Amino acid sequence: MTYTTFNQEQFDAIKEPMFFGRNVNVSRYDIQKYPIFEKLIEKQLSFFWRPEEVDLSTDRRDFAALPDHEKHIFLSNLKYQTLLDSIQGRSPNVALLPIVSLPELETWIETWAFSETIHSRSYTHIIRNIVTEPAKIFDDIVTNEAITKRARDITRYYDALIEGVSLYHQLGEGKHVINGEEVNISITDLKRRLYLTMISVNVLEAIRFYVSFACSFAFAERSTMEGNAKIIKLIARDEALHLTGTQHILQLMADGKDDPEMAAIARDMKDEARQIFIDAAEQEKDWAHYLFRDGSMIGLNRDILGQYVEYITNQRMVAVGFEPEFAIKQNPLPWMNSWLNSDNVQVAPQEVEVSSYLVGQIDSEVQTEDFSNFSL
Amino acid sequence: MAHIIKILEGFSFIPREELSLLEALEQQRVEMDYQCREGFCGSCQVSLIDGEVVYTTDPIAFIPEGKILTCCCRPKSDLTIEIPGGCKKKKDNVE
Repeated sequence: MTYTTFNQEQFDAIKEPMFFGRNVNVSRYDIQKYPIFEKLIEKQLSFFWRPEEVDLSTDRRDFAALPDHEKHIFLSNLKYQTLLDSIQGRSPNVALLPIVSLPELETWIETWAFSETIHSRSYTHIIRNIVTEPAKIFDDIVTNEAITKRARDITRYYDALIEGVSLYHQLGEGKHVINGEEVNISITDLKRRLYLTMISVNVLEAIRFYVSFACSFAFAERSTMEGNAKIIKLIARDEALHLTGTQHILQLMADGKDDPEMAAIARDMKDEARQIFIDAAEQEKDWAHYLFRDGSMIGLNRDILGQYVEYITNQRMVAVGFEPEFAIKQNPLPWMNSWLNSDNVQVAPQEVEVSSYLVGQIDSEVQTEDFSNFSL
Repeated sequence: MAHIIKILEGFSFIPREELSLLEALEQQRVEMDYQCREGFCGSCQVSLIDGEVVYTTDPIAFIPEGKILTCCCRPKSDLTIEIPGGCKKKKDNVE
């Protein structure tokens, strides 16, 4: 079945599942199967920000004053964040758009991926501001073994899904021989790949990103690299919304009303899915070894970051209905809460857009009793 | 009307009416996780064991059955809640 950009069939889009139904035709939002995606889109749009709104002039001085091992921590963390957003800026589009069947979900995926491109642009903004040769840093992302190792872990589920879907679009279901190798293409198998991809995306946004945020905020916690922390706050706000999006998708998959086969897959693959969380936690702990290889920084070291990895992994596992894996119960980095909260981000006042002003502030239903307190 | 909030393996208190449940818990110096404080991140969830709450804004976060999002709800009756990880009080900064 080939992908078509405008499906000419007439059908009721509301009866389609989220993925692997008919290709979408009209981008219409008057009737929606899952209004939650529209809410996510509106929220994301209200968050719109640009990295240039945040002044980084003091960060350059702060960075120059950091000891070498802290420069290593800061830059490695930034490279890792750049990697994560490079992946998230394109992969949801490439992997999910060809198989999505609901217009509101399709638009959410596009809106979601677009906001990741703002994050990528902000890393360039940060790197340009703190070093004289940004190219050195970007080039290292594809050559540094510690980073490329992580890239492999993160992208393999996406890549497996993309490969499977492109073969399916070309050849359809059934047994085929490709370059002398027999390949069996089935929708069930593709749905399995999709399920694992969604789990690994949730892990990326809900665990991996938060570990990197902890490092960014650890600097700001001792009043250095604060411009960077302001940008990361805005990124963290977006990521919180994205992880909510993937949690909703996973939940809709698991409950079976959307697509009974997907629910069966979620049940069958529970152990494998759980293992993705656990493996990611281990990978993040390994990463902490690399970050702190030349020494710790005040307020954060390998052990505390490792505990935070376990804490946040437990929290995210519970959120998607899995048993938590680790024993830890208390947040080892309680100061993360206030850093993650974005309403106190100070940006240039003329540029600021407070999200709460922009959503849901207009109440067009006015009744006579609303004026009962007024007298003339 | 004032409602009693009982925290499982913790204590009970009567919150000020204008506060969200999250704010009320924080005022009691209970350690709570939070991020967005406006219903989309889901960090401040607790289990609702007994009672009813009313949402002041519609939460966007995914809330599993039996959980409530404390940043955007208020008690509608007496409540019994359970905080994930247990009820821990913040230490006073004053030594």
